[in-house]
Amino acid sequence: MVLHLPRWATDCLKRADRRLGALPLPLALYERQQGAMRLVALDARAAGAGLSEGQSLSDARALCPELDAREIDRGMLTSVFADFADWHSNASPIVSVLTDSMPYGDLALDITGVAHLFGGENRMLAHLTERLEMLGFTVRGAVAGSVGAAWALARFAPGQVAGNEDLPDVLASLPVAALRLDDAQVEGLLQMGLKRVGQLYGRDRGALRARFGGTLLNRLDQALGLVEERVTPRLPIPERHAERRFAEPVTLIDDVMLTARDLGRQLSAQLEAEGAGAQSFHLFLYRIDHKVMTLSVNAARATREAGHIARLFANRAERLSGEFDAGFGIEAVRLAATSVSPLDTTQIGAFETDDGAADLDRLYDRMASRLGPLAVSRQKFVNSHIPERAVTLEPAVARTPDDPQAMPDAGLPRPLRLLPRPEQIEVVAEVPDGPPARMVWRRVAYRFARASGPERIGVEWWQPGEGALTRDYYVAEDEEGRRFWLYREGLYAVETGRPRWFMHGLFA
Amino acid sequence: MQGSAKERVVAELRARIAGVERRAPLAGTAERERDGAALPFRHAPPGLLHEIWSASAREAGGALGFALGQGRRLIGRARQAVLFLQLAHEAQETGLPYGAGLKSFGFDPQALTLGRPRDIGELLWAIEEAVACRAVAAVVADIGGAPRALDFTASRRLSLRAQASGGSVFLVRYGAQREASAAALRWRVEPAPSAPVRFDDRAPGDARLKVVLEKSLSARGVGGLKGEWILNWTEAHGWDLADGDQGAGRAVAGAPAYGAPPAALGDRLSQAG
Repeated sequence: MVLHLPRWATDCLKRADRRLGALPLPLALYERQQGAMRLVALDARAAGAGLSEGQSLSDARALCPELDAREIDRGMLTSVFADFADWHSNASPIVSVLTDSMPYGDLALDITGVAHLFGGENRMLAHLTERLEMLGFTVRGAVAGSVGAAWALARFAPGQVAGNEDLPDVLASLPVAALRLDDAQVEGLLQMGLKRVGQLYGRDRGALRARFGGTLLNRLDQALGLVEERVTPRLPIPERHAERRFAEPVTLIDDVMLTARDLGRQLSAQLEAEGAGAQSFHLFLYRIDHKVMTLSVNAARATREAGHIARLFANRAERLSGEFDAGFGIEAVRLAATSVSPLDTTQIGAFETDDGAADLDRLYDRMASRLGPLAVSRQKFVNSHIPERAVTLEPAVARTPDDPQAMPDAGLPRPLRLLPRPEQIEVVAEVPDGPPARMVWRRVAYRFARASGPERIGVEWWQPGEGALTRDYYVAEDEEGRRFWLYREGLYAVETGRPRWFMHGLFA
Repeated sequence: MQGSAKERVVAELRARIAGVERRAPLAGTAERERDGAALPFRHAPPGLLHEIWSASAREAGGALGFALGQGRRLIGRARQAVLFLQLAHEAQETGLPYGAGLKSFGFDPQALTLGRPRDIGELLWAIEEAVACRAVAAVVADIGGAPRALDFTASRRLSLRAQASGGSVFLVRYGAQREASAAALRWRVEPAPSAPVRFDDRAPGDARLKVVLEKSLSARGVGGLKGEWILNWTEAHGWDLADGDQGAGRAVAGAPAYGAPPAALGDRLSQAG
């Protein structure tokens, strides 16, 4: 099913600003294009007054003096349309925005296996379009076996439900623009006298390809359902889900979390029946003002334990606290599980055995869900001899195998704590390329009693980034026994005349 | 044979009393006798809240080394992980534990997980959550400054949590100001010149620290001890007395720094914990 909202830009503004909708003035949006201000979106009144898209603003003002013209905000329109699209996932799980002609305005829903819930395809189409019309949107919709055909019908012959076998006949009478072609291609076809889609049937494909490129044939085949076209769903496709609709909208996060806990139990029973567990859980909150909020949590290993899932969401919600905005209320909550994999019943029993790994994973899940996934990490060695590159942090919930080549040499002196950014220090050395004798770090002076080094670490010349200098590292101990890791940047008299010193780490 | 049976009975009774009193059981006398003297850095039981103080952030390396050395002792087959927690914005001040450094120090970098919460509330939550986990041997929390959220109540909470689960908590703190806290052991760590290196008297050798036990609660199996030692780090033996420091003579058994917390407070908290 494709829903086409030709007046989305103006309808959306009118819904956002009620006064605008109440005024009987024509509304148009303009955009600066190559120095001229041209109209890019019109409402029904403006179109009725004889204005057209692409007209310059001054011409339009002359034609229609009472015109209310505003500059278009494409980013806002696109993002609101995306929310609007997400809201439609209460009708079908696979919803995507078709951006072939515009970044907003066309919505594709995969209603395979869904339509019977609404009493058939006709009634579903009627239901969805009526619902949108009641909200003040101009909408046209059509159902067909392919995305291309539904798009064509929605624009040029809305309200139809076309079966697969009728597609060639239904499409034959539509103008060629119905094939989602670009302007140059449409113009070329018209020049050749090819006005209807039907005239393309049976034409020499080689000639068409040579004249218009492969996209024309591709679009034709897609519309006829000969070539499968995939749409990218905006939201992850839930493999398993449980949902609840409320008789009255709820606004409190606590109520939402209670519902989530309940849904978690349902979902867990569902997963258990299948002998499966899931690693990602998504909570969709459908607001009555057509926005969808999504909370996602990930588990380090597949789980179906309702208590654990509920705790992850509770932690995630705590991190949300200030940002939670229920608007006018939430009408439905859906809990979906993705990344589903088989999970034997014995694996649940791991809790009882002495292997603590499952417990640790749960702990990391809980911490990551509250503190953020990057805030709980482990150290991973990278095959590099530059100290700050040799170790990276990776999320503890998403471990990757270690690279045996990257294991550091335990014999090298390395500090227990490394400063994320080396700090420049003042150092006095007896000779310019000798060990440090005194330093000033963070405005405190130190006098070194002992030092060992240098350990010379060269530049990784195969890495991008210019201007790097060789470093000479020293382990230096001050008179009281603090041990520091410092380095001199640049070889004296070879790379630089005045080497600078940096503090890089602290030893035990 | 008879002796071991007797020991077992004593240990059982101790465990039962500990259960009634909600406290960690006393360390076995045999263990103490074997050590020859009370050296709590060697046999402090798990499930305690420790505070490790050092004068400033520039001594953070020694403090972390001491905490990890203690933590390493607690790692076992069932408890394999040590968590390090630090506020994300304090990493530059005291430095992040460095994998390659852990390796050359003798601590398995895979056993250490880093948690970097954004504020002190989250940090305290993370300590509690982590120490409650059955598979965590120790939690090392690096706390700069004197946050108001970490008051006596909070530390009492942590201490009860640690007792209940059997994991240890090490709070690494900086400064000279001590606040009231429910920590079972309070250590002060100061730098000490490193061990001499044979054939090279200009190079730093094995890490050494001066460790002062400022307080220990008598009831927690570590006795009302105080003392100071110079400790020497070796990968094989962990922190142990440095040569020439007989230690035992300097440990002074004394009255506990303070006894149980006020009855009302203790009662309320034990219910909470």
